[in-house]
Amino acid sequence: MHYDLSQVKIKRTNNPSNPTTCLYLSIVIPLYNEEESVEKLLSELFEAGKQFEFAYEIILVDDGSTDRTWETIERLKKTTPQLRAIKFRRNYGQTSAMVAGFDYAKGEIIVTMDGDLQNDPSDIPMLLEKIEEGYDIVSGWRKDRKDHVFRVLPSRVANAIISSTTHIRLHDYGCSMKAYRAECVKSLKAYGEMHRFFPALASMTGARVTEVPVKHHSRKYGVSKYGFERILKVFSDIFAMNLIIRFSSNPLKGFVLCAVPFLFLTLFFGGLALLALILQWTAGKAIFFMVATALTGMAVAHLLTLGVVSELVVSTSDLSHTRMPEVTKKRIAQRA
Amino acid sequence: MALCSLRHASIMNYSIIILLEDSHADFPQFIENLHHVFSTREDSFEIIIMANGTGGFLRNQLIKLQGFNHAIKAFEFNAKTTQAVCLQAGFKESSGEIIVACGSYQQITNDSFNKSLDALDEGTDIISPWRQGRVDPSFNRFQSRIFNTLVRTLIKSDLHDLSCTVKIFRKEVLEETKIYGNMYRFLPIVAAQKGFKTREVNCQHYQERGETGFYTLSDYVTRLIDIFTLFFNTRFIKKPLRFFSSIGLGSLLIGLFIASYVFAEKFFMGYPIGDRPALLLAIFFMVLGVQTASAGLLGEIIAFTHGRHKKEYTIEKLI
Repeated sequence: MHYDLSQVKIKRTNNPSNPTTCLYLSIVIPLYNEEESVEKLLSELFEAGKQFEFAYEIILVDDGSTDRTWETIERLKKTTPQLRAIKFRRNYGQTSAMVAGFDYAKGEIIVTMDGDLQNDPSDIPMLLEKIEEGYDIVSGWRKDRKDHVFRVLPSRVANAIISSTTHIRLHDYGCSMKAYRAECVKSLKAYGEMHRFFPALASMTGARVTEVPVKHHSRKYGVSKYGFERILKVFSDIFAMNLIIRFSSNPLKGFVLCAVPFLFLTLFFGGLALLALILQWTAGKAIFFMVATALTGMAVAHLLTLGVVSELVVSTSDLSHTRMPEVTKKRIAQRA
Repeated sequence: MALCSLRHASIMNYSIIILLEDSHADFPQFIENLHHVFSTREDSFEIIIMANGTGGFLRNQLIKLQGFNHAIKAFEFNAKTTQAVCLQAGFKESSGEIIVACGSYQQITNDSFNKSLDALDEGTDIISPWRQGRVDPSFNRFQSRIFNTLVRTLIKSDLHDLSCTVKIFRKEVLEETKIYGNMYRFLPIVAAQKGFKTREVNCQHYQERGETGFYTLSDYVTRLIDIFTLFFNTRFIKKPLRFFSSIGLGSLLIGLFIASYVFAEKFFMGYPIGDRPALLLAIFFMVLGVQTASAGLLGEIIAFTHGRHKKEYTIEKLI
């Protein structure tokens, strides 16, 4: 079968007086080789779900597990109607799993969490409360983190960098426990390994972002799926993310900014070349400065050309990324 | 002529798509052999012939093949196009669950066809035949081996014979995998990247009608470019900045290293700096680095503005 999730529509709660009949919450959980955790995870979710006064669904995304995760999900599906699941053909990573879950979700609010029992579903009502207050994105903050120091340190550094380079100020971007208003996150269509940047990306939309401290448990089953190579990738992603947030609507400006230092170098070398000719320094010096002028001048020309091409690329796109702020549009109450 | 028997009345089992590019006199024999192979399997099948720039050849051959008319659909392209276009056009006309794509002539024996079809079991989505006991000249085999080894090491696949024109796969494979240009021969690799289970089957080489000896220079260049395209597409299509910035950063570091060396000589040994070619080389590397990295920036903007809507995952099951 060929599946297309883009057909799934958000169900609007038309009748707030009777919220139990309408799907309000979708809980999206990516799983990769978590056969031991799945059952416990679901029972924890049901425990938390007892307090909900609305209908909810659980979306498990099997990210190409090689163990019996999917078989367990299929078995559990028989007894739990509110469980829905997606199985990937191979391992695509947490971001893709979350994006697929977002596409498949029907609820108005989407909550994501880890499948390894490190997040606690009893925190969900707290996140939802913030959403009800009017926030578009509520991020969890693992204030008391139960991980090895070698995991925590690089993550601290990454958090500090993201926090200082984007408009969004959060303590813990890497926490999987987050709540989103569905439209906000569906419009993002994130790619690569960017789940930690959802709030930063969403800042392009002007989304109202906040954080709440959540509980964090140490890992019980399985192994942690992180390595040193990941850290490098995260930093390259932070760089790409910032470029996109700043310049995807006016890329020429980005390239012009890159070109400015080279323009100064060109003028500097060009001036020296002129001086060398006029004051008749050694012939070697004049040639040296002229070649240097040509090299740096070419860099300027190259950057400006690419800038114009990038402007062309953006204007031929569907421009949906420039219209992202529309999703955070909200009608405000008028006084009579 | 008996009608091909229908085990499942409503489901078409096999669609054989023939990408006809060369005019060989024994083409009717090839079709007859194929018809024989599939009618003995007692599964329903259809043969779709896509004539790709062969002029009136196919029309003449169809007269000889009138006995098989019930199983054949024939199409022709006016101008020669790529195999990827041909395959996808043929795929649109097909209704089979399993697609058997092959070239202009019979490349593997009837028995090998049967063996490959049997190998497409529950856990397999695509079969790539590996020709054994090859009958083409040893120089051809040598070139083919170099090509396949190069692909295996660069792309990290485990397939040995991408040049075989026969490829057998489930229809989901082509629904999820978009191919273009010269990517037909790489279909098993591209499909494997999407998570489809690929399996290689040892087959008996039957005949070889392709070019022998040296190809033209442009053929070699094209093949190299194809391999690079595949490499880039499979690894960096959504994160072009990682590719370009690693090259750019390397160049920038070389430039900085040379520059610091020259400056160190100036400060510690008092060598003059103003007219040293080494310093120009340093500037050159730094400029090159910035230019490469900035191309990555452009790539990232393209990926974000045009590629965001393309999903990068493939779904096997939904419940």
